[in-house]
Amino acid sequence: MNGDIRFLIVDDFSTMRRILRNLLKEIGFGNAEEAEDGAVALSMLKTTKFDFVVSDINMPNMNGFELLKNVRSDEALKSIPFLMVTAEAKKDDIVQAAQAGASGYIVKPFTKATLEEKVQKILTKQN
Amino acid sequence: MGHIDAAAQAAPTQPDAATAAPPASATLTGPESEETIHQRIGQLTRTLHDALRELGYDRELMDARDNLPDARDRLAYIARVTGEAAEKVLNAVDRARSVQQELTEQVGDLRQRWQAVAAFAAGGKACTPAGKQLIDETCDFFGSIGGQTDRTNAILTDIMMAQDFHDLTGQVIRRVVVLAQGLEEQLLKLLIETTPPAQRPRLEAKHLEGPVVSPVARNDVVADQQGVDDLLASLGF
Repeated sequence: MNGDIRFLIVDDFSTMRRILRNLLKEIGFGNAEEAEDGAVALSMLKTTKFDFVVSDINMPNMNGFELLKNVRSDEALKSIPFLMVTAEAKKDDIVQAAQAGASGYIVKPFTKATLEEKVQKILTKQN
Repeated sequence: MGHIDAAAQAAPTQPDAATAAPPASATLTGPESEETIHQRIGQLTRTLHDALRELGYDRELMDARDNLPDARDRLAYIARVTGEAAEKVLNAVDRARSVQQELTEQVGDLRQRWQAVAAFAAGGKACTPAGKQLIDETCDFFGSIGGQTDRTNAILTDIMMAQDFHDLTGQVIRRVVVLAQGLEEQLLKLLIETTPPAQRPRLEAKHLEGPVVSPVARNDVVADQQGVDDLLASLGF
């Protein structure tokens, strides 16, 4: 249905990457790839076209905030939707994410309905 | 009474000139005062250690330090095993989904064929009433399968989502491991700095009983079943 929208899922836990990939497929977004940290994700973003990033915050090498800043400061990547999906529920983190340019923020554990709502909202806003 | 209180009571009650606290109004400035502060901290550390030793707590500190690496390994083991369990569940969910998909497709195909038979039998000429009823009920049953597979898929999604515990608990474990590592380093420094070189005990890690969580660097355990089999084979079993 939305197979032309390509997602990049960034999380250091393979279990969560797999859950996100399956959930995205269930809500109609079957085109997704995975990266285990921000550094790998940034490298993939610079070499392959992605339409949407779903990223964790706490990761080794490069965390989600650093990835977001890199994406927003890159002319070719700065407009890509960036959804934070993280266990960090601290207000400071949420504010920091918003100020850094995150398109949305989901706190783990989350539901399929929440993911679907946020993704659709971001895509609608972008269009 | 906490350990700090006990240690304070056991500390020398007549401080010498070097450890005596300066008057509250005293102000220290410049490199000389910095050196004085460092000396005082060193002496306080020594005093603390003496108190700990007199009370026998230095041994407890060392035991605590010795057990921390094992505790960290155990936490890492929990993270790994629970992660593997979560992956197994996700694999099972994927397989179950595949079976459900196959079932849905087969049912859809059969339903179409039975509906054609039902249409043919609608006139009542090619089929007995009981046969026609059976055909209708079969068509209804095939029709209901779609809803049932949808419900099963929703349950499978719930099972899949529940596996996020690995991510959540894993992050907590990782933070505790970092805390334990910091504590271990601080304890080690305290032990080394406050113990005379000749009296420094060997700081060897001790291993608790239970599953082997970190076989690396241990020669008294096997890493996996292959290790067990190899060992038994070498013994002629």
